Amino acid sequence: MTASTGVRRDGTPDPTAPEPATQAADERSARAGSGGWRALLWQPVMLAVAVLVFVVWRAAAGLSDVESRQLGWSALSRSVVEHLQLTAASALIVLVIAIPLGILLTRGGMRRFSPLIVGVANTGQAAPAIGLLVLLAAWTGFGFRTAVIGLVVYAALPVLRNTMVGLQGVDSRLVEAGRGMGMSALAVLLRVELPLAVPVLLAGVRTALVLLVGTATLATFINGGGLGVLIVTGINLSLDALLVSGAVLVALLALAVDWLGRVVEHVARPRGL
Amino acid sequence: MSETLPAPSTAAGPGDDRHISGVPIRLDGVTKRYPGQGVPAVDDVTLEIAAGETVMFVGPSGCGKTTLLKMINRLIEPTGGRIHLGDEDVTDQDPDQLRRRIGYVIQAGGLFPHMTVATNIGLVPKMLKWDDARIAGRVDELLDLVGLDPEQYRDRYPRELSGGQQQRVGVARALAADPPVLLMDEPFGAVDPITRQRLQDELIRIQEELGKTIVFVTHDFDEAVKLGDKIVVFDVGARVVQYDTPERILAEPAEEYVADFVGAGATLKQLTLTRVGDVDLLRPTTATVGSDSAAAVAAARAAGDDYVVVLDQRGRPISWPTLAELERTTAIPGTVDERLPVVGLRSTLNDALDAMLAASQGGVVVTGRRDALAGVMAVETVMAAIQRTRTGGGAR
Amino acid sequence: MWEYVTERAGLVAFQSFQHVSLVVQCVLLGSLIAVALAVLVYRNPAATSAANGFSAVGLTIPSFALLGILLAPFGFGITPAVIAITFYAALPVLRNAVVGLAGVDRSLVESARGIGMSRVRTLLRVELPLAWPVILAGIRVATQMVMGIAAIAAYVLGPGLGGFIFSGLSRLGGANALNSTLTGTIAIVLLALVLDLLLVLAGRLTTPRGIRV
Repeated sequence: MTASTGVRRDGTPDPTAPEPATQAADERSARAGSGGWRALLWQPVMLAVAVLVFVVWRAAAGLSDVESRQLGWSALSRSVVEHLQLTAASALIVLVIAIPLGILLTRGGMRRFSPLIVGVANTGQAAPAIGLLVLLAAWTGFGFRTAVIGLVVYAALPVLRNTMVGLQGVDSRLVEAGRGMGMSALAVLLRVELPLAVPVLLAGVRTALVLLVGTATLATFINGGGLGVLIVTGINLSLDALLVSGAVLVALLALAVDWLGRVVEHVARPRGL
Repeated sequence: MSETLPAPSTAAGPGDDRHISGVPIRLDGVTKRYPGQGVPAVDDVTLEIAAGETVMFVGPSGCGKTTLLKMINRLIEPTGGRIHLGDEDVTDQDPDQLRRRIGYVIQAGGLFPHMTVATNIGLVPKMLKWDDARIAGRVDELLDLVGLDPEQYRDRYPRELSGGQQQRVGVARALAADPPVLLMDEPFGAVDPITRQRLQDELIRIQEELGKTIVFVTHDFDEAVKLGDKIVVFDVGARVVQYDTPERILAEPAEEYVADFVGAGATLKQLTLTRVGDVDLLRPTTATVGSDSAAAVAAARAAGDDYVVVLDQRGRPISWPTLAELERTTAIPGTVDERLPVVGLRSTLNDALDAMLAASQGGVVVTGRRDALAGVMAVETVMAAIQRTRTGGGAR
Repeated sequence: MWEYVTERAGLVAFQSFQHVSLVVQCVLLGSLIAVALAVLVYRNPAATSAANGFSAVGLTIPSFALLGILLAPFGFGITPAVIAITFYAALPVLRNAVVGLAGVDRSLVESARGIGMSRVRTLLRVELPLAWPVILAGIRVATQMVMGIAAIAAYVLGPGLGGFIFSGLSRLGGANALNSTLTGTIAIVLLALVLDLLLVLAGRLTTPRGIRV
């Protein structure tokens, strides 16, 4: 796999792969997104309707003992909270690691290492998430912590890559103009390069978040908790209600996170672009 | 209401008494050698640029002229030699501090797209810790200087401006902290010919007002002749082949190399040496927007004109309707004629000819300070000038 | 680990073949569906944005969740795996095919019509060949992606290398558990790289010479 193949091997694919064609599609959807709030309002309305349908179904359905235990409101909210904790913890670590690393790899002397790092990251990305999680579990043991490590390894690439692509996409003449008028390298980074890279960078963060919500489903295999528990229990015990509930909730959560990301992108996009 | 114009004031040429705020630049054996390259990009250049002069760097691409320019503000660090601004040796000064005292203009202005026009212009004053009120005042003053209405443009984003307007803001930004030196790297390379000519006129006007020391890189020899007090012709390695006034470079190219570079049409090139302000202009009948049409028509008839130049409230020409067109109106209309051919007093006859040809008109409106009307030039005037240079034997 | 693989060379080869065969067939099917859909929508702006929205939302849905949902009506086995993998394979191709077809210079289409080519002929002889590199890029993305999704499908008793990973998981701590997981994971990585190379090669061979970069 080459460095330009923007591929996720599992969970959620990467809609911001920096290939010409995909970028064109991205720009288009970005323009449609900035075209107005209408597109952004559509998604939460649909989500709200879906959640409502789920709640009504849950209240009305005749459930078996195991099912009603797992789908009790407290058990359910615990699963959702666990899932969000997995997502949030790993997302936070990803941001703290990947963004500074991406900035570093576009600076002066470090630039020559960037093809190497991206190449390694891309090849690592070719490993299926479930394989990665199991191997990590064999090494650091089962549990929440291992799940977070696995998720971080998995979701770091889109943020790293988009940080780099975003910064590299800033017109070098603007950097020169900034330096030429006496801004320090740090000032140019903070006032010119990062603001201009924000749209691409945030698209990477949104991709990573959606990916995390999806991949966190697999955390249950190594006792990491989350909504995957419902799906796995449902599959193992042939309890369709449980299985479908878990799957639907994860999908809704992913869509909600995606929507949240879009709203942030819309708000944070620098005016004038 | 119609009035007759005062005689156009002749623009001050270099050497005349004028305000100078620039400082001299002295390059002493400046060299740039890139690692792994046998031949230095810039080889031991020694050059003095007088305070308040506009010096044009010309030469083939890759000759090192841009590298030399960027070594003045140390965007490229020289590997040898010294650079002096005024009495100061700045070769080892902190580059960021140094650059805040040197204006820098690049193609398309290099404006930051995520900042408003006012923020862009105010960047350097902000870094110099001016207070906000002073910055705001300076921004408006500069927008006015480059011919943009502050009210209208201050809060716009660069993409809401035309290429020419962006370039004007770029110049305003470079002038923000009133630096004594301005470096310009092919600033007008990306705009259309008509806009370029206007920007050049504007720069000449601003320079007459401010008297900065300007170093200007261009690949367009006509531009160099028009804007420069002096021209430096470079060959590979930034070897200075000739450093002289445009007149003398055209008349006596130092080497065959320069003659080739200057190009064949030397007679026509002489047209770029004659300024519109140097020839006699026609004084057209004028009328201000909203005044009585009939009076204007009568005044024009009395003067023997078949058109009237319409001025806006600030005395800037906006259209030149024929008498027949005016007779159909009662008050002078305020419509702006987008295709009105306009040149400045410091434009060259070459520019004037271009403007006429572009607009398919037999004449061109001439403006002076702050875009106010200075007169009208007819195509016959240009033809007569060409005739004169031909019979006068031309330059060579 | 090498010992582990050589002892089970037959099984590894068989599961690899199953994995690749599943992926290739689903990608083929998904690509056909996606290109057909793209041809239907690309001239209509509303349909185009609906298709783009569909692929964006579809790509947001976690694969394990979709597999779970499909289990309810179809039960364990090959069917839910094929449906899910085909679904995910189609989405990137759909997105790129729409972009690629829309990106074909209008004047070329007009000149094709102008020399008397029919609508269908224009599509087959002009538009699809010109959009092909972009579509192929989508197919590459899709292939890489579903190689991983196919691993998870093993949990719902789909065929393929995911079986090694899950059997390793179930016996973790026991003998050969790690070897089993490593075998599955590494085999998937290697096969993904091989498939990608083959697709690059296919691209070289099938891209019209005049538009090769």
